[in-house]
Amino acid sequence: MKVIVADDSRLVRGIVERTVVSMGFEALLAVNGKEALNILEAGDKDVNLMLLDWNMPLLNGIDVIRSMRKNDRFNNIAVLMVSTESEEDRIKEAISAGAQGYLTKPFTPDQLMDAIRQVLKTK
Amino acid sequence: MKRILGIDCEPKAEKDILGLLGKDAYIQYEKFHDEMVLNDYDMIILWMGKNQEHIVQQICKLRYACNFQNIPIILIHNQKQDISSQPYIIAGATEVLSLSDPLPACKHIINGYLIPSREPLAEEFEYLDPFIKNTCHILQTMAGLKVEFKKVYFSNAIRIFGDVSGIMGLSGNAEGTLVVTFYWDLAKMIIAKMMQTEESSIDAELIHDGVSEIINMISGSTKKEFVGTPYHFEISLPSVIVGPGHQIGYLQNTSVAVLIFQVGSQSFALHVCIKPKTTMS
Repeated sequence: MKVIVADDSRLVRGIVERTVVSMGFEALLAVNGKEALNILEAGDKDVNLMLLDWNMPLLNGIDVIRSMRKNDRFNNIAVLMVSTESEEDRIKEAISAGAQGYLTKPFTPDQLMDAIRQVLKTK
Repeated sequence: MKRILGIDCEPKAEKDILGLLGKDAYIQYEKFHDEMVLNDYDMIILWMGKNQEHIVQQICKLRYACNFQNIPIILIHNQKQDISSQPYIIAGATEVLSLSDPLPACKHIINGYLIPSREPLAEEFEYLDPFIKNTCHILQTMAGLKVEFKKVYFSNAIRIFGDVSGIMGLSGNAEGTLVVTFYWDLAKMIIAKMMQTEESSIDAELIHDGVSEIINMISGSTKKEFVGTPYHFEISLPSVIVGPGHQIGYLQNTSVAVLIFQVGSQSFALHVCIKPKTTMS
């Protein structure tokens, strides 16, 4: 199973990748929302989950979710938003756009693993 | 009693320097060395020798030893001709004075720098406390580090004497700037802990990126605590400045709260400059 990790921060990509790999998944890294969509468009059928930052250059996380949910090919891929945006309104906005889970930064590796497991259960 | 440290002062100048200070000042003299501890001093007076490059290096080391505290560093010389103060001010000196200048003017300038920074008001702590709490929480959660808040002072100075700063512009109900500033070694240690890796594997790009993410997290996790208050702000993408003594501008008529934190024996600073656009009822 493959997981797309989309975050403009190399530090966060590194931290998330390490956790994802420790769970036995393969991580595909994207530095912005556009790259994340490009990975999906490339047609890899093993992608089951996307971990998505909100504030990114070129295309932000919420627009990535909206694009995914408009496309039947990507509708079954779970999305966990991992963001510094921590207000209730923002969390509701992400969930109503089509994210299955929301984790606010900062987080521990255990919190990230728990959030990933929860999101995968919903799909 | 104000505590002054006189460094490398010529014996014949000591009397003149004493004449510049008020009666409630106690001056202690030392030779410059690389391990100077300056935390408890109210002012540093450095005697200016002939070698400009050497003095600039001394000022840089003293500014680092101040650990982000607003301790004035006064460079004093006895030369009659005009000296360009620019290289020394850029290095971190606060003022360059000549003992050949009129004594009352020098005295006035020195005593101006001995006026203490004001303490925060209770209502100012209301908006500073969430930043303090979240800064400690972020580094504890992401890097497993115990961070202690040490002190706060207000400054109108626009210069920041660190090596790397993460900057977040604030907009919305409240406008302003948040800046976190580290010395290079502490930034490297924190990023290595966050990545759970050796410091030797942390490159400059990763430090740059990590400091950007730290200010992003401080801003993002704090803004939710201001929902419904005049201090609620929106954030955008952070930026980073690298280079000792870099300068950052602030909004006019707004004082900047400088929060100093300690990790082990090292310090870092968070500058909070936030101004509500309107007062909410």
